[in-house]
Amino acid sequence: MKRRAFLAVLLGALTCGALSITAQTGSSQWALDWSALTYHMSHPMHQVEGTSNAAKGKGICQASQCNFLIAVPVKTFSSGDSNRDLHMIEATKGAEFPMIVVRAQFAESELDASTIHANLQVQFAGQTAHYQQVPFQRTQKGSEVQITGTIPLTCSDFKIERPSFLGVPIKNEIPVRVQMNWHKL
Amino acid sequence: MEMPWARLSFRTVCFALLLASPTFVLGQAGVSDSNAPGVTAAQTSAAGSQSSPPAKTNQQPLPNAPSAAPQEPSLGDLGITQQQMQANPALQARLDKRTEMLKIHQRLGLITAIPMVADLITGPMAKVKGRNGQIIKMPTQANIDLHAALGSTTAGLYFSTAYFAIFAPRIPGTHKRGAIRVHEALAFVHGPGMILTPILGAMAFKQEQDGEKPHGIAAAHGAVAAITALSYGASIIAVSWPIHLKFWEKK
Repeated sequence: MKRRAFLAVLLGALTCGALSITAQTGSSQWALDWSALTYHMSHPMHQVEGTSNAAKGKGICQASQCNFLIAVPVKTFSSGDSNRDLHMIEATKGAEFPMIVVRAQFAESELDASTIHANLQVQFAGQTAHYQQVPFQRTQKGSEVQITGTIPLTCSDFKIERPSFLGVPIKNEIPVRVQMNWHKL
Repeated sequence: MEMPWARLSFRTVCFALLLASPTFVLGQAGVSDSNAPGVTAAQTSAAGSQSSPPAKTNQQPLPNAPSAAPQEPSLGDLGITQQQMQANPALQARLDKRTEMLKIHQRLGLITAIPMVADLITGPMAKVKGRNGQIIKMPTQANIDLHAALGSTTAGLYFSTAYFAIFAPRIPGTHKRGAIRVHEALAFVHGPGMILTPILGAMAFKQEQDGEKPHGIAAAHGAVAAITALSYGASIIAVSWPIHLKFWEKK
């Protein structure tokens, strides 16, 4: 009887070990290859876009959940007009808070889906805003995964005083178009 | 025959193995990582539940509860240093001052355009009419005074506008790109023009007062004024370009 109990314990231990190894190998890591983050600013007289290709990112999928981190310096956004870019840095307090940090979280099961719905936490201009279930389109191209989507940022979310021209402020919405290429490590 | 102590040992050994397994170690790493700023309280509490006392292992696990705290990448993983994250209040203050001065520059610049246009309109009214050999018609004193007053106002506002652009703090390490280069290049046209126009105007006025038709360099007063005003207008448009008039759009 004791032997049977011992065998049961041993079998259980082996199962636990196997499960543990499976859980470990189930994790995956992702690295950002290339990105273009473009903000769109709208004014009755102007439509401006500023793009940064300087984002860095990493993702870890583990325990059926994926956590991605993307960081981009505020000063790397270029609209083609240095004067406007400096004004943008000033308005967004880019010297005090030089980095925009985005944390994305989504279910690992969505990794193979054509649309990923991510919960985002965006740290920008000294404020943190959350955006739930933001859709991103996913396209597999060889070993690379292309992610495109738009983060619906607004000035008020980050307590940014809206710049104005001729007494008319810019629109509150400053959507950021995201284009990223990731590869699995 | 069922042996209760055997089931207990099985669970205890399972738990002991899980404790020793690398997954648990990874999970613990996730806990320490989740203490980094920005991680939500919910994630921290979820990670904390992983280190609950063994007695809790007898409880039924929640259907969606993760087996271990998910690991999160940190800014350090991206190669971002503390220095890159560091605030620069001095630079922010410099940017604030620069923006404030350029806002005044913008407002004064637009205001300056009003007397400048009015001066261009009143210019011909303050001009001696008639060709050489014909009867010369002198302008009224009121027209001359109005034109001179508008000119003085324009010059005063113009140089005030220029002051706020010239003395706005420069931001080190920035290279000028885009419309600002055209805007600044045109200042080399309307800047000297704004100095020359009143001088030529004063010379022309003196010649008129002497009963002469403006001649010599003074005769170029009108042309210089027109070129100055045109380059000034172009300078405003250049810095505002491209203009998309969409006032009809709903806010």
